[in-house]
Amino acid sequence: MSAAEKMSRRDEMETLLPFYLNGSLEGAELEAVEEWLATDPAAMNALGEAEAEFSGTAAANEAIRPPADALSRFARALDAEAGPAPAPAGQSWLAKVFGRVTAMPAGIAWAAAAALLALVIVQSFEQPGGKGNDFEVAGAQDDLAKLPFALVKFKPDAKMADIAAFLGQNGLKIAGGPTADGVFRLTIPASSAADYDKLVGLIAAQPFADTVIQGRKPVDGG
Amino acid sequence: MNAATETDRALVDRVAKGDRAAVRLLFMRHHARIYRFVARQMGSEMMADDIANEVFLELWKKAPSFEGRSEVSTWLLGIARFKGLSMLRKKKEDWIDDDDAAQVPDGADTPEVVTMKEDKAAALRRMIDALPEEHRAVIDLAYYHGQSVTEIGEVLDIPVATVKTRMFYARKKLGEALKAAGYDRGWP
Repeated sequence: MSAAEKMSRRDEMETLLPFYLNGSLEGAELEAVEEWLATDPAAMNALGEAEAEFSGTAAANEAIRPPADALSRFARALDAEAGPAPAPAGQSWLAKVFGRVTAMPAGIAWAAAAALLALVIVQSFEQPGGKGNDFEVAGAQDDLAKLPFALVKFKPDAKMADIAAFLGQNGLKIAGGPTADGVFRLTIPASSAADYDKLVGLIAAQPFADTVIQGRKPVDGG
Repeated sequence: MNAATETDRALVDRVAKGDRAAVRLLFMRHHARIYRFVARQMGSEMMADDIANEVFLELWKKAPSFEGRSEVSTWLLGIARFKGLSMLRKKKEDWIDDDDAAQVPDGADTPEVVTMKEDKAAALRRMIDALPEEHRAVIDLAYYHGQSVTEIGEVLDIPVATVKTRMFYARKKLGEALKAAGYDRGWP
């Protein structure tokens, strides 16, 4: 008889509790645990102990912090593996200029980006919704006064290519900035407060984000 | 569809067609958990950094053959586990440099003595860290990565009954360690 077969009912329930807590238990095993929790006075205490293990395991894992530049190093490794990314057909004037900026050293690139963005924001009123290589700059049709937005400051060593890719992937647009402090205003494509919180949380979690301040948020039901 | 809500499987389909933005998005979603899983498996963040990168390069190469029989997160964890074991076999114990060695408990205090200095939550966290790797892995995969019994079996390449047996002994050891430290929880 195997060790598993020798388990008592309590042993079996204790073994299944982690899977009950993570929501992956189903069928007869789920019913057995729920029945045990409802009928055995010791069961709720056991559930509390498993919850403590759950918290302890999460804390032990979250204490490990991945390097902040992991994404940019992966992007370089990917380019080495797959070759340089092909330029999209019909690349816009903005994409070409932006591509040149991203090839500059970081310090110069940020200064150039500030000047470029100032130009782009003006230009975008002539080319509404002008599409960049990986992201869009908010155009006149976006009615900036009404759109949800957040204020974001990027880290000084952030790679512009990473930021541009992230903005493009998530439908984020630069609506203004940078200020003298290097703060950009990003429009957030969210129709509910929950979507807004999710996207702002995603921005804040990026290794290149230094500070994220919530701005106008969608009003649910409004 | 907004990229924030696009499913992992849809992104893998895009990766299979050569879409680099999709692989970067999957990297952003899963890298931290893969990195932590490998760091705890290997006991080395330096190795975790290399292996986690390799996992996503493997995703880039293998995306066309992904059949969707498991969740993408389970698939990535399985790749990470395999790559970690391969590197361990290759390097055996040579990789333990001074920095890593400093993180290995030196046994200067007995568990009981250390535990007297800390509260129950801190004691429990230390005891989880001190579990043998095969037990800690099932604890991590269930509690932190949210994996089912079947999925853990896929990641670790072991039968479902073995997953349960390891979980049983992992939790039993934690209970015994807590009891020895003065925190009797009534089981085992």
